[in-house]
Amino acid sequence: MSEYIIDVGKRHIKEINEEIQEAAKQGKEIHVVNTLSRHNLGVGLPAGAKLTFEGSVGYYCGGLNVGANIEIERNAGWACGEGMSKGHITIGGYCGMSCGAAMMGGTIHVKGDAGPRCGVAMKGGTIVVEGKIGYQSGFMAHSGRIIALGGAGASCADALWEGEVWVAGEVESLGVDVNVLEPTSEEVAEVDAILDPLGLTDSSRNWRKMVSGQRLWYFESREASAWLMI
Amino acid sequence: MCGIAGRIVGGNGVLGRNLVDLMDAQEHRGADSTGFAIYGPIRDNGYVLRGMGFDKTKIDSDLADFENVLRDNGSDYLNNPDILTDENAHYCFRMEISDPKELIAWVHDADMLSDRIEVQSCGRSLEIIKDIGGASAVADKHNVRDMVGTHGLGHARLATESSVLPNASHPFWARPFSDVAIVHNGQITDYFTWRKKLERKGYRFLTGNDSELIAVWVSDQMKSGLTMQQALTNSISSIDGVFTYMIANTDGIGFAKDRFAMKPLVVMDRKGDLAMATEEQAVRRIFEDEGEVTNYDGPSMTALWGVGNRSIAA
Repeated sequence: MSEYIIDVGKRHIKEINEEIQEAAKQGKEIHVVNTLSRHNLGVGLPAGAKLTFEGSVGYYCGGLNVGANIEIERNAGWACGEGMSKGHITIGGYCGMSCGAAMMGGTIHVKGDAGPRCGVAMKGGTIVVEGKIGYQSGFMAHSGRIIALGGAGASCADALWEGEVWVAGEVESLGVDVNVLEPTSEEVAEVDAILDPLGLTDSSRNWRKMVSGQRLWYFESREASAWLMI
Repeated sequence: MCGIAGRIVGGNGVLGRNLVDLMDAQEHRGADSTGFAIYGPIRDNGYVLRGMGFDKTKIDSDLADFENVLRDNGSDYLNNPDILTDENAHYCFRMEISDPKELIAWVHDADMLSDRIEVQSCGRSLEIIKDIGGASAVADKHNVRDMVGTHGLGHARLATESSVLPNASHPFWARPFSDVAIVHNGQITDYFTWRKKLERKGYRFLTGNDSELIAVWVSDQMKSGLTMQQALTNSISSIDGVFTYMIANTDGIGFAKDRFAMKPLVVMDRKGDLAMATEEQAVRRIFEDEGEVTNYDGPSMTALWGVGNRSIAA
Protein backbone atom coordinates (compact mmCIF):
# COMPACT_ATOMS: atom_id res chain seq x y z
CA MET A 1 0.00 0.00 0.00
CA SER A 2 1.35 3.42 -0.89
CA GLU A 3 2.06 6.04 1.74
CA TYR A 4 -0.25 8.98 2.31
CA ILE A 5 1.90 12.13 2.57
CA ILE A 6 0.88 14.94 4.91
CA ASP A 7 2.80 18.22 4.71
CA VAL A 8 2.98 20.18 7.98
CA GLY A 9 4.72 23.47 7.14
CA LYS A 10 3.06 26.50 8.69
CA ARG A 11 -0.53 25.22 8.56
CA HIS A 12 -2.74 25.30 11.68
CA ILE A 13 -2.04 22.28 13.87
CA LYS A 14 -5.74 21.42 14.17
CA GLU A 15 -6.08 21.17 10.40
CA ILE A 16 -3.03 18.87 10.23
CA ASN A 17 -4.25 16.61 13.03
CA GLU A 18 -7.71 16.34 11.45
CA GLU A 19 -6.08 15.26 8.21
CA ILE A 20 -4.00 12.69 10.10
CA GLN A 21 -7.07 11.35 11.93
CA GLU A 22 -9.08 11.09 8.72
CA ALA A 23 -6.28 9.23 6.89
CA ALA A 24 -5.83 6.90 9.88
CA LYS A 25 -9.56 6.14 9.87
CA GLN A 26 -9.24 5.10 6.23
CA GLY A 27 -6.43 2.73 7.17
CA LYS A 28 -3.76 4.61 5.22
CA GLU A 29 -0.09 4.42 6.07
CA ILE A 30 0.81 8.01 6.83
CA HIS A 31 4.10 9.78 6.24
CA VAL A 32 4.27 13.27 7.74
CA VAL A 33 6.84 15.60 6.19
CA ASN A 34 8.16 19.14 6.69
CA THR A 35 7.45 18.92 10.44
CA LEU A 36 9.58 21.95 11.44
CA SER A 37 9.62 20.65 15.05
CA ARG A 38 5.97 21.71 15.45
CA HIS A 39 4.05 20.81 18.63
CA ASN A 40 1.08 18.48 19.20
CA LEU A 41 1.52 16.42 16.06
CA GLY A 42 -0.37 13.11 16.01
CA VAL A 43 -2.08 13.44 19.37
CA GLY A 44 -4.86 10.94 20.24
CA LEU A 45 -4.21 8.51 17.39
CA PRO A 46 -6.48 5.46 17.13
CA ALA A 47 -5.43 1.81 17.47
CA GLY A 48 -3.97 0.35 14.31
CA ALA A 49 -2.82 3.68 12.85
CA LYS A 50 0.65 3.67 11.33
CA LEU A 51 2.61 6.91 11.07
CA THR A 52 6.10 8.08 10.34
CA PHE A 53 7.35 11.60 10.96
CA GLU A 54 10.16 12.88 8.80
CA GLY A 55 12.75 14.85 10.78
CA SER A 56 12.08 16.23 14.26
CA VAL A 57 8.86 16.97 16.11
CA GLY A 58 8.01 19.38 18.95
CA TYR A 59 6.14 18.87 22.21
CA TYR A 60 3.52 16.17 22.98
CA CYS A 61 3.93 14.17 19.79
CA GLY A 62 2.00 10.89 19.97
CA GLY A 63 0.37 11.94 23.23
CA LEU A 64 -2.79 10.07 24.35
CA ASN A 65 -1.96 7.32 21.89
CA VAL A 66 -4.42 4.43 22.16
CA GLY A 67 -2.68 1.90 19.97
CA ALA A 68 -0.97 3.53 17.00
CA ASN A 69 2.50 2.69 15.76
CA ILE A 70 4.46 5.93 15.45
CA GLU A 71 7.96 6.44 14.19
CA ILE A 72 9.83 9.73 14.54
CA GLU A 73 12.90 9.93 12.35
CA ARG A 74 14.96 12.32 14.49
CA ASN A 75 14.33 14.23 17.74
CA ALA A 76 11.20 14.71 19.80
CA GLY A 77 10.48 17.66 22.12
CA TRP A 78 8.91 17.55 25.57
CA ALA A 79 6.52 14.86 26.74
CA CYS A 80 6.53 12.61 23.71
CA GLY A 81 3.82 9.95 24.23
CA GLU A 82 2.37 11.69 27.27
CA GLY A 83 -0.62 9.82 28.69
CA MET A 84 -0.50 7.04 26.09
CA SER A 85 -2.23 3.80 26.98
CA LYS A 86 -1.30 1.49 24.12
CA GLY A 87 0.80 1.34 20.98
CA HIS A 88 4.43 1.86 20.08
CA ILE A 89 6.48 5.04 19.54
CA THR A 90 10.01 4.97 18.15
CA ILE A 91 12.20 8.08 18.39
CA GLY A 92 15.26 7.93 16.15
CA GLY A 93 17.28 10.57 17.98
CA TYR A 94 17.03 12.52 21.22
CA CYS A 95 13.80 12.53 23.20
CA GLY A 96 13.27 15.74 25.23
CA MET A 97 12.11 16.29 28.78
CA SER A 98 9.35 14.15 30.37
CA CYS A 99 9.28 11.45 27.70
CA GLY A 100 6.31 9.15 28.37
CA ALA A 101 4.97 11.38 31.15
CA ALA A 102 2.04 9.73 32.95
CA MET A 103 1.81 7.01 30.32
CA MET A 104 -0.34 4.01 31.22
CA GLY A 105 0.69 1.40 28.68
CA GLY A 106 2.44 0.68 25.41
CA THR A 107 6.11 1.10 24.57
CA ILE A 108 8.34 4.07 23.81
CA HIS A 109 11.67 3.24 22.20
CA VAL A 110 14.29 6.02 22.13
CA LYS A 111 17.34 5.32 20.01
CA GLY A 112 19.35 8.27 21.33
CA ASP A 113 19.39 9.82 24.81
CA ALA A 114 16.37 10.95 26.79
CA GLY A 115 16.06 14.28 28.64
CA PRO A 116 15.27 14.96 32.30
CA ARG A 117 12.37 13.26 34.12
CA CYS A 118 11.96 10.52 31.55
CA GLY A 119 8.88 8.50 32.57
CA VAL A 120 7.76 11.08 35.14
CA ALA A 121 4.60 9.89 36.91
CA MET A 122 4.22 6.94 34.55
CA LYS A 123 1.52 4.50 35.53
CA GLY A 124 2.35 1.61 33.25
CA GLY A 125 4.03 0.57 30.02
CA THR A 126 7.67 0.50 29.06
CA ILE A 127 10.27 3.07 28.01
CA VAL A 128 13.43 1.72 26.39
CA VAL A 129 16.28 4.19 25.92
CA GLU A 130 19.34 3.02 24.03
CA GLY A 131 21.38 5.98 25.28
CA LYS A 132 21.38 7.73 28.62
CA ILE A 133 18.33 8.80 30.59
CA GLY A 134 18.42 12.37 31.95
CA TYR A 135 18.33 13.97 35.36
CA GLN A 136 15.69 12.66 37.78
CA SER A 137 14.35 9.99 35.45
CA GLY A 138 11.46 7.94 36.74
CA PHE A 139 10.47 10.79 39.05
CA MET A 140 7.37 9.75 41.04
CA ALA A 141 6.54 6.90 38.69
CA HIS A 142 3.63 4.81 39.97
CA SER A 143 4.19 1.72 37.87
CA GLY A 144 5.78 0.55 34.62
CA ARG A 145 9.39 0.13 33.65
CA ILE A 146 12.15 2.35 32.31
CA ILE A 147 15.08 0.51 30.72
CA ALA A 148 18.22 2.55 29.96
CA LEU A 149 21.08 0.90 28.12
CA GLY A 150 23.53 3.81 28.24
CA GLY A 151 23.55 4.96 31.85
CA ALA A 152 21.56 7.51 33.82
CA GLY A 153 21.97 11.16 34.86
CA ALA A 154 21.89 12.52 38.39
CA SER A 155 19.10 11.84 40.87
CA CYS A 156 18.07 8.64 39.10
CA ALA A 157 14.73 7.06 40.10
CA ASP A 158 13.96 10.00 42.40
CA ALA A 159 10.93 9.54 44.65
CA LEU A 160 9.68 6.45 42.84
CA TRP A 161 6.30 5.34 44.04
CA GLU A 162 6.32 1.94 42.44
CA GLY A 163 7.63 0.91 39.05
CA GLU A 164 11.18 0.08 38.13
CA VAL A 165 14.15 1.82 36.58
CA TRP A 166 16.65 -0.54 34.97
CA VAL A 167 20.05 0.85 34.04
CA ALA A 168 23.01 -0.71 32.29
CA GLY A 169 26.02 1.60 32.54
CA GLU A 170 26.97 4.40 34.86
CA VAL A 171 24.45 6.05 37.17
CA GLU A 172 25.61 9.58 38.06
CA SER A 173 23.74 9.59 41.37
CA LEU A 174 20.63 8.16 42.95
CA GLY A 175 17.53 10.16 43.80
CA VAL A 176 15.71 10.22 47.11
CA ASP A 177 14.49 6.92 48.58
CA VAL A 178 15.90 4.44 46.05
CA ASN A 179 16.74 0.80 46.61
CA VAL A 180 19.23 -0.66 44.16
CA LEU A 181 18.70 -4.36 43.56
CA GLU A 182 20.57 -7.06 41.67
CA PRO A 183 17.87 -8.48 39.38
CA THR A 184 17.23 -12.20 39.36
CA SER A 185 17.83 -14.18 36.17
CA GLU A 186 14.06 -14.52 35.74
CA GLU A 187 13.69 -10.74 35.86
CA VAL A 188 16.54 -10.27 33.38
CA ALA A 189 14.85 -12.77 31.06
CA GLU A 190 11.68 -10.70 31.30
CA VAL A 191 13.55 -7.53 30.30
CA ASP A 192 15.39 -9.36 27.53
CA ALA A 193 12.02 -10.46 26.17
CA ILE A 194 11.15 -6.75 25.81
CA LEU A 195 14.52 -5.91 24.23
CA ASP A 196 14.62 -8.89 21.89
CA PRO A 197 12.05 -7.68 19.33
CA LEU A 198 13.93 -4.36 19.25
CA GLY A 199 17.17 -6.20 18.48
CA LEU A 200 18.77 -4.95 21.68
CA THR A 201 19.53 -8.04 23.74
CA ASP A 202 23.06 -8.32 25.10
CA SER A 203 23.89 -10.93 27.73
CA SER A 204 26.97 -9.05 28.95
CA ARG A 205 25.03 -6.21 30.56
CA ASN A 206 25.58 -5.42 34.18
CA TRP A 207 22.05 -4.45 35.24
CA ARG A 208 21.00 -2.36 38.16
CA LYS A 209 17.35 -2.36 39.03
CA MET A 210 16.09 0.59 41.03
CA VAL A 211 12.87 0.45 43.02
CA SER A 212 11.22 2.54 45.71
CA GLY A 213 12.68 2.40 49.21
CA GLN A 214 9.08 3.02 50.34
CA ARG A 215 10.16 5.56 52.95
CA LEU A 216 8.29 8.34 51.16
CA TRP A 217 5.05 6.38 51.14
CA TYR A 218 4.22 7.80 54.56
CA PHE A 219 5.36 11.16 55.85
CA GLU A 220 7.56 10.91 58.91
CA SER A 221 8.47 14.27 60.37
CA ARG A 222 11.78 12.95 61.67
CA GLU A 223 12.69 12.06 58.09
CA ALA A 224 11.60 15.42 56.72
CA SER A 225 15.04 16.02 55.25
CA ALA A 226 14.46 13.17 52.81
CA TRP A 227 11.62 15.22 51.30
CA LEU A 228 13.96 18.00 50.31
CA MET A 229 14.63 17.00 46.74
CA ILE A 230 17.43 19.46 46.06
CA MET B 1 5.36 30.30 31.21
CA CYS B 2 7.43 32.70 29.15
CA GLY B 3 9.52 32.32 26.03
CA ILE B 4 13.04 33.57 25.55
CA ALA B 5 15.37 33.74 22.58
CA GLY B 6 18.84 34.76 21.61
CA ARG B 7 20.49 35.29 18.27
CA ILE B 8 24.07 35.85 17.19
CA VAL B 9 24.14 36.78 13.54
CA GLY B 10 27.09 35.14 11.87
CA GLY B 11 25.87 35.10 8.30
CA ASN B 12 23.42 37.20 6.37
CA GLY B 13 20.59 37.24 8.89
CA VAL B 14 18.94 40.51 9.84
CA LEU B 15 19.01 40.67 13.60
CA GLY B 16 15.74 42.51 14.15
CA ARG B 17 13.77 40.36 11.71
CA ASN B 18 15.26 37.16 13.14
CA LEU B 19 14.45 38.08 16.74
CA VAL B 20 10.89 38.98 15.78
CA ASP B 21 10.54 35.60 14.02
CA LEU B 22 11.92 33.79 17.09
CA MET B 23 9.43 35.54 19.34
CA ASP B 24 6.51 35.26 16.92
CA ALA B 25 7.01 31.47 16.97
CA GLN B 26 6.78 31.53 20.77
CA GLU B 27 3.92 33.99 21.17
CA HIS B 28 1.72 31.20 22.59
CA ARG B 29 4.08 31.13 25.59
CA GLY B 30 3.00 34.63 26.55
CA ALA B 31 1.58 37.61 24.71
CA ASP B 32 1.17 40.00 27.64
CA SER B 33 4.27 41.81 26.50
CA THR B 34 7.21 41.32 24.20
CA GLY B 35 10.68 42.77 24.28
CA PHE B 36 13.97 42.80 22.42
CA ALA B 37 17.56 43.64 23.30
CA ILE B 38 19.44 44.66 20.19
CA TYR B 39 23.21 45.07 20.07
CA GLY B 40 23.89 47.46 17.20
CA PRO B 41 27.08 49.13 16.01
CA ILE B 42 29.27 50.14 18.97
CA ARG B 43 29.83 53.89 19.47
CA ASP B 44 33.19 55.23 20.58
CA ASN B 45 31.48 57.71 22.85
CA GLY B 46 27.99 58.73 23.82
CA TYR B 47 25.12 56.44 24.78
CA VAL B 48 21.80 55.52 23.29
CA LEU B 49 18.95 55.42 25.78
CA ARG B 50 15.64 53.64 25.48
CA GLY B 51 12.80 53.95 27.94
CA MET B 52 9.30 55.14 28.61
CA GLY B 53 7.29 57.74 30.44
CA PHE B 54 4.05 56.79 32.10
CA ASP B 55 1.82 59.75 31.27
CA LYS B 56 1.89 61.00 27.70
CA THR B 57 0.13 64.23 28.67
CA LYS B 58 3.27 65.22 30.58
CA ILE B 59 5.93 64.57 27.93
CA ASP B 60 7.20 68.16 27.84
CA SER B 61 7.70 68.56 31.58
CA ASP B 62 9.18 65.02 31.87
CA LEU B 63 11.74 65.73 29.18
CA ALA B 64 12.61 69.15 30.60
CA ASP B 65 13.34 67.60 34.00
CA PHE B 66 15.23 64.75 32.39
CA GLU B 67 17.35 67.22 30.43
CA ASN B 68 18.18 69.14 33.62
CA VAL B 69 19.46 65.94 35.22
CA LEU B 70 21.55 65.22 32.13
CA ARG B 71 23.11 68.70 32.18
CA ASP B 72 23.78 68.51 35.93
CA ASN B 73 25.84 65.42 35.10
CA GLY B 74 27.77 67.04 32.25
CA SER B 75 25.78 65.36 29.46
CA ASP B 76 23.31 66.54 26.85
CA TYR B 77 21.12 65.30 24.03
CA LEU B 78 23.10 64.73 20.82
CA ASN B 79 19.91 65.24 18.82
CA ASN B 80 16.21 65.57 19.46
CA PRO B 81 14.74 62.60 21.35
CA ASP B 82 12.40 60.34 19.34
CA ILE B 83 9.05 60.03 21.08
CA LEU B 84 6.45 57.39 20.25
CA THR B 85 2.87 57.57 21.46
CA ASP B 86 -0.25 55.54 20.76
CA GLU B 87 -3.61 54.92 22.45
CA ASN B 88 -1.88 53.76 25.65
CA ALA B 89 -1.15 56.12 28.53
CA HIS B 90 2.60 55.58 28.33
CA TYR B 91 4.99 56.91 25.71
CA CYS B 92 8.32 55.46 24.57
CA PHE B 93 11.52 57.29 23.83
CA ARG B 94 14.88 56.83 22.17
CA MET B 95 17.64 59.34 22.91
CA GLU B 96 21.27 59.75 22.08
CA ILE B 97 23.33 61.50 24.73
CA SER B 98 26.93 62.53 25.21
CA ASP B 99 28.94 60.85 27.97
CA PRO B 100 27.95 61.96 31.46
CA LYS B 101 30.85 62.80 33.79
CA GLU B 102 30.11 59.63 35.72
CA LEU B 103 27.67 57.09 34.37
CA ILE B 104 26.74 55.57 37.73
CA ALA B 105 26.08 58.98 39.30
CA TRP B 106 23.92 60.05 36.36
CA VAL B 107 21.89 56.81 36.44
CA HIS B 108 21.33 57.36 40.15
CA ASP B 109 20.06 60.89 39.53
CA ALA B 110 17.97 59.93 36.50
CA ASP B 111 16.33 57.15 38.53
CA MET B 112 14.98 59.80 40.91
CA LEU B 113 12.50 60.56 38.11
CA SER B 114 11.70 56.90 37.49
CA ASP B 115 8.13 57.15 38.78
CA ARG B 116 7.48 59.43 35.76
CA ILE B 117 10.13 58.60 33.19
CA GLU B 118 12.17 55.41 33.25
CA VAL B 119 15.42 54.67 31.44
CA GLN B 120 15.22 51.04 30.32
CA SER B 121 18.53 50.69 28.53
CA CYS B 122 21.73 52.60 28.27
CA GLY B 123 24.47 51.45 25.98
CA ARG B 124 27.20 52.18 23.51
CA SER B 125 25.51 49.40 21.53
CA LEU B 126 22.48 48.04 23.44
CA GLU B 127 18.91 49.15 22.83
CA ILE B 128 16.03 47.54 24.71
CA ILE B 129 12.64 47.78 23.05
CA LYS B 130 9.73 46.49 25.09
CA ASP B 131 6.02 47.03 25.21
CA ILE B 132 2.73 45.36 25.96
CA GLY B 133 1.38 43.06 23.22
CA GLY B 134 2.57 40.19 21.07
CA ALA B 135 5.69 39.98 18.91
CA SER B 136 4.17 41.40 15.74
CA ALA B 137 2.40 44.26 17.50
CA VAL B 138 5.54 45.36 19.32
CA ALA B 139 7.69 44.87 16.23
CA ASP B 140 5.31 46.94 14.08
CA LYS B 141 5.06 49.74 16.61
CA HIS B 142 8.81 50.03 17.17
CA ASN B 143 10.03 49.01 13.73
CA VAL B 144 12.13 46.22 15.26
CA ARG B 145 12.40 44.13 12.09
CA ASP B 146 14.66 46.65 10.38
CA MET B 147 17.09 46.97 13.29
CA VAL B 148 20.57 45.72 12.52
CA GLY B 149 23.23 44.45 14.86
CA THR B 150 25.47 41.58 15.83
CA HIS B 151 23.38 39.86 18.48
CA GLY B 152 20.38 40.22 20.71
CA LEU B 153 17.74 38.75 23.00
CA GLY B 154 13.99 38.34 22.84
CA HIS B 155 11.27 37.73 25.39
CA ALA B 156 7.57 36.88 25.40
CA ARG B 157 5.93 37.39 28.76
CA LEU B 158 3.09 35.57 30.42
CA ALA B 159 2.76 37.52 33.65
CA THR B 160 2.51 35.05 36.53
CA GLU B 161 4.08 36.88 39.47
CA SER B 162 3.23 40.53 38.91
CA SER B 163 1.08 42.95 36.90
CA VAL B 164 1.03 43.41 33.16
CA LEU B 165 2.63 46.83 32.92
CA PRO B 166 4.65 48.15 30.00
CA ASN B 167 7.77 48.64 32.12
CA ALA B 168 7.46 45.21 33.76
CA SER B 169 8.27 43.63 30.38
CA HIS B 170 11.61 42.04 29.61
CA PRO B 171 14.48 42.42 28.78
CA PHE B 172 15.78 44.11 31.91
CA TRP B 173 18.81 46.31 31.90
CA ALA B 174 21.40 45.57 34.58
CA ARG B 175 21.47 49.23 35.64
CA PRO B 176 23.76 51.12 36.05
CA PHE B 177 26.17 49.10 33.90
CA SER B 178 25.88 50.03 30.26
CA ASP B 179 25.16 47.36 27.62
CA VAL B 180 24.05 44.52 29.93
CA ALA B 181 20.60 42.96 29.50
CA ILE B 182 18.81 39.86 30.76
CA VAL B 183 15.74 37.83 29.79
CA HIS B 184 14.25 35.21 32.10
CA ASN B 185 11.85 32.28 31.84
CA GLY B 186 10.65 31.02 35.22
CA GLN B 187 9.88 32.24 38.72
CA ILE B 188 12.20 33.51 41.44
CA THR B 189 10.89 32.23 44.76
CA ASP B 190 13.21 34.15 47.10
CA TYR B 191 12.53 37.44 45.30
CA PHE B 192 11.51 39.45 48.38
CA THR B 193 14.42 38.20 50.50
CA TRP B 194 16.90 39.13 47.78
CA ARG B 195 15.18 42.40 46.96
CA LYS B 196 15.41 43.56 50.59
CA LYS B 197 19.08 42.56 50.75
CA LEU B 198 19.93 44.41 47.55
CA GLU B 199 17.88 47.48 48.47
CA ARG B 200 19.84 47.72 51.70
CA LYS B 201 22.95 47.87 49.50
CA GLY B 202 21.45 50.85 47.68
CA TYR B 203 20.00 49.22 44.54
CA ARG B 204 16.68 50.44 43.18
CA PHE B 205 13.93 48.22 41.86
CA LEU B 206 11.65 49.92 39.36
CA THR B 207 9.04 47.16 38.93
CA GLY B 208 7.43 44.35 40.92
CA ASN B 209 8.64 41.79 38.39
CA ASP B 210 10.67 38.96 39.94
CA SER B 211 12.87 38.78 36.85
CA GLU B 212 14.17 42.29 37.51
CA LEU B 213 15.92 40.72 40.49
CA ILE B 214 18.24 38.82 38.16
CA ALA B 215 19.31 42.05 36.46
CA VAL B 216 19.95 43.78 39.78
CA TRP B 217 21.65 40.71 41.22
CA VAL B 218 23.93 40.50 38.17
CA SER B 219 24.80 44.21 38.60
CA ASP B 220 25.85 43.49 42.16
CA GLN B 221 28.04 40.61 40.98
CA MET B 222 29.63 42.83 38.34
CA LYS B 223 30.26 45.50 40.93
CA SER B 224 32.16 42.89 42.95
CA GLY B 225 34.35 42.37 39.88
CA LEU B 226 33.07 38.93 38.89
CA THR B 227 33.09 37.79 35.27
CA MET B 228 29.92 36.81 33.48
CA GLN B 229 30.82 33.13 33.83
CA GLN B 230 31.34 33.51 37.58
CA ALA B 231 28.05 35.37 37.94
CA LEU B 232 26.20 32.71 35.96
CA THR B 233 27.67 29.91 38.05
CA ASN B 234 27.01 31.73 41.35
CA SER B 235 23.40 32.41 40.46
CA ILE B 236 22.57 28.70 40.40
CA SER B 237 23.40 28.21 44.07
CA SER B 238 22.42 31.73 45.19
CA ILE B 239 19.01 32.32 43.61
CA ASP B 240 16.07 30.07 44.45
CA GLY B 241 13.35 29.23 41.98
CA VAL B 242 13.01 27.84 38.51
CA PHE B 243 14.85 29.71 35.83
CA THR B 244 16.50 29.65 32.50
CA TYR B 245 17.82 33.11 31.91
CA MET B 246 20.09 34.68 29.32
CA ILE B 247 22.37 37.62 29.85
CA ALA B 248 24.04 39.61 27.11
CA ASN B 249 26.74 42.25 26.82
CA THR B 250 28.59 43.64 23.82
CA ASP B 251 30.79 40.53 23.67
CA GLY B 252 28.09 37.88 23.52
CA ILE B 253 25.40 35.91 25.33
CA GLY B 254 25.47 33.63 28.36
CA PHE B 255 22.83 31.50 30.05
CA ALA B 256 22.19 29.70 33.33
CA LYS B 257 19.64 27.12 34.40
CA ASP B 258 18.38 26.22 37.88
CA ARG B 259 19.08 23.04 39.83
CA PHE B 260 15.70 21.51 39.07
CA ALA B 261 16.09 21.83 35.28
CA MET B 262 12.54 23.00 34.68
CA LYS B 263 12.91 25.41 31.78
CA PRO B 264 14.35 24.40 28.43
CA LEU B 265 16.83 26.01 26.08
CA VAL B 266 17.44 24.81 22.54
CA VAL B 267 20.44 25.99 20.55
CA MET B 268 21.48 25.62 16.94
CA ASP B 269 25.07 26.71 16.37
CA ARG B 270 26.32 26.92 12.81
CA LYS B 271 29.93 27.98 13.20
CA GLY B 272 29.10 30.97 15.35
CA ASP B 273 25.82 31.72 13.58
CA LEU B 274 23.57 30.97 16.54
CA ALA B 275 19.89 30.80 17.31
CA MET B 276 18.68 29.96 20.80
CA ALA B 277 15.14 29.69 22.08
CA THR B 278 12.87 28.06 24.61
CA GLU B 279 11.37 25.91 21.85
CA GLU B 280 13.02 24.10 18.95
CA GLN B 281 10.26 25.13 16.56
CA ALA B 282 11.27 28.77 17.06
CA VAL B 283 14.90 28.04 16.20
CA ARG B 284 13.64 26.29 13.08
CA ARG B 285 12.24 29.63 11.90
CA ILE B 286 15.88 30.71 11.51
CA PHE B 287 17.35 27.40 10.35
CA GLU B 288 14.51 25.62 8.56
CA ASP B 289 16.44 22.56 7.53
CA GLU B 290 17.18 19.76 9.97
CA GLY B 291 20.52 20.23 11.69
CA GLU B 292 22.46 19.58 14.83
CA VAL B 293 20.36 20.76 17.79
CA THR B 294 21.67 21.07 21.34
CA ASN B 295 19.16 20.76 24.14
CA TYR B 296 20.46 22.35 27.34
CA ASP B 297 18.19 20.13 29.39
CA GLY B 298 20.25 19.15 32.41
CA PRO B 299 20.27 20.77 35.85
CA SER B 300 22.64 23.60 36.89
CA MET B 301 23.92 24.35 33.39
CA THR B 302 25.67 27.43 32.07
CA ALA B 303 27.10 28.35 28.69
CA LEU B 304 28.65 31.35 26.97
CA TRP B 305 28.63 32.25 23.30
CA GLY B 306 30.89 34.97 21.98
CA VAL B 307 30.13 37.24 19.04
CA GLY B 308 32.50 36.69 16.14
CA ASN B 309 36.00 36.52 17.53
CA ARG B 310 35.22 38.46 20.70
CA SER B 311 35.97 36.48 23.83
CA ILE B 312 33.23 36.65 26.41
CA ALA B 313 34.91 34.79 29.26
CA ALA B 314 37.74 37.30 29.65
